Amino acid sequence: MANILWLQGGACSGNTMSFLNAEEPSACDLVTDFGMNILWHPSLGMELGDNLQQMLRDCVSGKIKLDIFVFEGTVVNAPNGTGEWNRFAGRPMKEWVRELSDAADFVVAIGDCATWGGIPATAPNPSDSQGLQFLKRDHGGFLGKDFKAKSGLPVINIPGCPAHPDWVTQILVAVATGRAGDLTLDDFQRPKTFFQSFTQTGCTRNMHFAYKVSATEFGQRKGCLFYDLGCRGPMTHSPCNRILWNRVSSKTRAGMPCLGCTEPEFPFFDLAPGTVFKTQTVMGVPKDMPEGVDKKGYIKLTGAAKAAAPAWVEQDIFVV
Amino acid sequence: MSQSHDDIIRRRIGDLLAGGLETQTEPFPETEKEFASILDQLRELPPDDLEGKLVISGLVDHPYGEEQQRCLECMYYLVHRKWCDLPELAVPVEAEWWCRLWRI
Repeated sequence: MANILWLQGGACSGNTMSFLNAEEPSACDLVTDFGMNILWHPSLGMELGDNLQQMLRDCVSGKIKLDIFVFEGTVVNAPNGTGEWNRFAGRPMKEWVRELSDAADFVVAIGDCATWGGIPATAPNPSDSQGLQFLKRDHGGFLGKDFKAKSGLPVINIPGCPAHPDWVTQILVAVATGRAGDLTLDDFQRPKTFFQSFTQTGCTRNMHFAYKVSATEFGQRKGCLFYDLGCRGPMTHSPCNRILWNRVSSKTRAGMPCLGCTEPEFPFFDLAPGTVFKTQTVMGVPKDMPEGVDKKGYIKLTGAAKAAAPAWVEQDIFVV
Repeated sequence: MSQSHDDIIRRRIGDLLAGGLETQTEPFPETEKEFASILDQLRELPPDDLEGKLVISGLVDHPYGEEQQRCLECMYYLVHRKWCDLPELAVPVEAEWWCRLWRI
């Protein structure tokens, strides 16, 4: 039996909604099939008031063994470092986060806000928000870069806005069933099993990417969304086109550009006007190239790809 | 739109450019804001104002600039249809032409 406690800081509840929609395994499967005991969760927890405070104190003291502490949302430090803007169970949430992280065997950050600050930490970051162990790309965050949970692992980051439900439940199962040692994390402490490949991996538009045919409007079924509509699929690490959303689709398959929400810089360009859903270019060449590609190589490849493009690539091949 | 109709329009554009139609090749839009502003100008034109489109987009009938950029490399260019697929422009073109809305 693994005890799980899930708290929520500066957040929109999007990751909670995602978690509750998990299918493989589902949130119920965690309890019935994998022996997890959800001590408390913002949408599922039964305890209120004094009872909840006592439970949290017992987790901190070790009276209740805390196997996995899950945090969703940012750690709010405003105003003036006090954290008073986000009070929970009688004190600033940040104080619970610190003590519960120290008490837990594993700490798991769910969603962009908990991992690197996400939208709340976007400049000018009025709530003085941080992720648990990162603030955007800067290692450190609220718990500090040297933080390790009792298991010896740093915070396990599962980013996304929201994170895919099955990324959440599958990692919880791995940890709760004693297979945390099988997890390898990348430089941003994301499980490589999900975040080594790109969003583009498995995208149905890869043929259009290869032959440099662009989609020019949302929802078009032909064309790649990278060239004009700001898609970040070629430089974003996620399995969105391998583990499909609702088991049927993904943003890019539906004609909606990837926003790069699993990367620390999300939302990119601080959401400045004209930067969303538009590929940023310098003198007509994209500012952000597909990972590992340089400008000269890109230009040469474009000429060759265009010259080699077959006629069908300019047509809608996904006919009903 | 039929292929022959595209060919007729393409020839007409070629004739206009060969005949000395002056188009606004400069300034090249260096930022998204400048790019968007040219698109706004194109959207304000009557749908059948072909010359207006050519002038505002800066279309020329030859490669352009130090790197000799051409429609052929532009992401809006459909090779087989010989067509500019930028919704605000949407005209038949030749691979060796260029305009200042060129993007790769």
